[in-house]
Amino acid sequence: MDRSLFMGGLPKTTSRRGFLRACAIATAAMGLPMEMVSKVAEAAEDPKRPRVVWLHFQECTGCSESLLRASHPDLANLILDLISLDYHETLMAAAGKQAEENLDKAVEEGNYLLVVEGGIPLKDGGIYCKIGGKTAVEILKKAAEKALAIIAIGTCAAYGGVQAAKPNPTGAVGVQDIIKDKPVINVPGCPPNPHNFLSTVLYYLTFKKLPPTDKFGRPLFAYGRKVHDHCERRPHFDEGRFAEQFGDVGHRLGFCLYKVGCKGPETYSNCPVIRFNDVEVWPVSVGNGCYGCTEPNFWDTMTPFHKRLPNVKIPGGKGIQASATEIGKAALGVTAAALAIHAGVGIAKKLATGSKSEE
Amino acid sequence: MAAYEKKYVWSVLLRLFHWTFAPSIFILIVTGLYIHWPWTNTWLEGSHQFTMAVMRWIHFIAGMIFTCAVIARLYLWFFGNKYEKIWDFLPITARNVKNLFSTILYYAYLTDHHEERLGHNALAGTAYFFTILLAICQFITGLYLLYPENGFFVSLGSALFGTQQEARFIHYILNWYFAWFALVHIYIVIWNDIKHPEGLISSIFDGFKFAKKEQ
Repeated sequence: MDRSLFMGGLPKTTSRRGFLRACAIATAAMGLPMEMVSKVAEAAEDPKRPRVVWLHFQECTGCSESLLRASHPDLANLILDLISLDYHETLMAAAGKQAEENLDKAVEEGNYLLVVEGGIPLKDGGIYCKIGGKTAVEILKKAAEKALAIIAIGTCAAYGGVQAAKPNPTGAVGVQDIIKDKPVINVPGCPPNPHNFLSTVLYYLTFKKLPPTDKFGRPLFAYGRKVHDHCERRPHFDEGRFAEQFGDVGHRLGFCLYKVGCKGPETYSNCPVIRFNDVEVWPVSVGNGCYGCTEPNFWDTMTPFHKRLPNVKIPGGKGIQASATEIGKAALGVTAAALAIHAGVGIAKKLATGSKSEE
Repeated sequence: MAAYEKKYVWSVLLRLFHWTFAPSIFILIVTGLYIHWPWTNTWLEGSHQFTMAVMRWIHFIAGMIFTCAVIARLYLWFFGNKYEKIWDFLPITARNVKNLFSTILYYAYLTDHHEERLGHNALAGTAYFFTILLAICQFITGLYLLYPENGFFVSLGSALFGTQQEARFIHYILNWYFAWFALVHIYIVIWNDIKHPEGLISSIFDGFKFAKKEQ
């Protein structure tokens, strides 16, 4: 796909061209053939906009923030144009009682997409997260009843996130641990890439069903491949060229960040391909290893973030090339010794017989 | 019934050359083809499986051994025993030119005449000569590809073979040459061993061949 799609940014108001561009990006992100762009665009411009209720629980609003960041206004515009956002605590004008009424009204009417941001505490009756006097779990269960489908945006909503890290004092869990009778799709990440969220929504609008997922409920088009397999520093890994610590020569030369803790070999996401903020960056491209933030319980399983993955043997010990060079030098030494012995024996024989030895 | 006697033909060093060269070729072909087409990628590659890296590692080490074996053979061309020296088997003498053509006819089943000789016949010797030359091309392109930042190998490789990509292409084509060579070599050796009682195959293990006893 044309990189300039990501590079150029998009105009502030959604032009026809910008609209089709964003649809094309989403189509590509979903792994659909380009012939599908028109279908996706058709679904996106349907005047019957799906209603969306967006709930916030134990979270930092980073997922909403990453979606609305000014660097890609058109993407946010498109998402907000695409859907009828009936309730979103950060964005809506209403507050207090009025806001709660909006939520009650939306939930009453039903047939909406429910987007959940943030983990849900269950311990002590769920009292550690309350909105308008109701616990998070209560609100979620009520809102989920009449929802068409649920999108859990961010690692907190998907798997509990940072508050679910050991010892999980509030008993936080993800949406899928509470809601069992509705289709739940996870778009994890800390934050997740807004393109993946857009693509999930567009997939639902185009096909009227949720995209196929992996065993952790993540859409395969975005989370089907390992970060390590698409990383631009992968050749350095295969060659055994590593940054040994931050700021050293290898780090400055852009070598593999595996030894300074990159979790790319254990993490499934399309970050190296889609990248972030429309300026062609993602953690590894700016010199910091992957934290594995799209994986369940990454706060527990991927920490310490700047240490190597345990039990992962680096091929060839010191790296392929260095190891082969060492062995090559040794082999060359053995060969030289063998030739020297051969020559020595030949000369000795010649001296002993005093004549040209031929055998 | 003709009487035969044991003759010492292949020195220890030549046999060592053969038994490092042959397995290294086999390993290089297998790993080389994998590197060319890593067909298990993404489903085998994982947090504790680095198939590509392991294949490359084995390939490079086998390549080093291959290089050393070739160096040993080059030395034996000039300092080996009578049968190992280059002028014993290259078609540069009248005797060897004659042998070259008679061997071709013999291998093509066009004549039954067969010259008994202890070293390589001229056809085999010529094939081995070119194989060693190609082996030199192979290890120079290999080292050029392995050390793309080493001044010596880069200037040598680029002078002889051009860009990295051209060197890679030659390296890949020669990989197939060695596969082909190994097959033909094994076939002809077995064919010869069946037809003649000289003990061709065992000679590469113990160094001895059997020649008709001169009456």
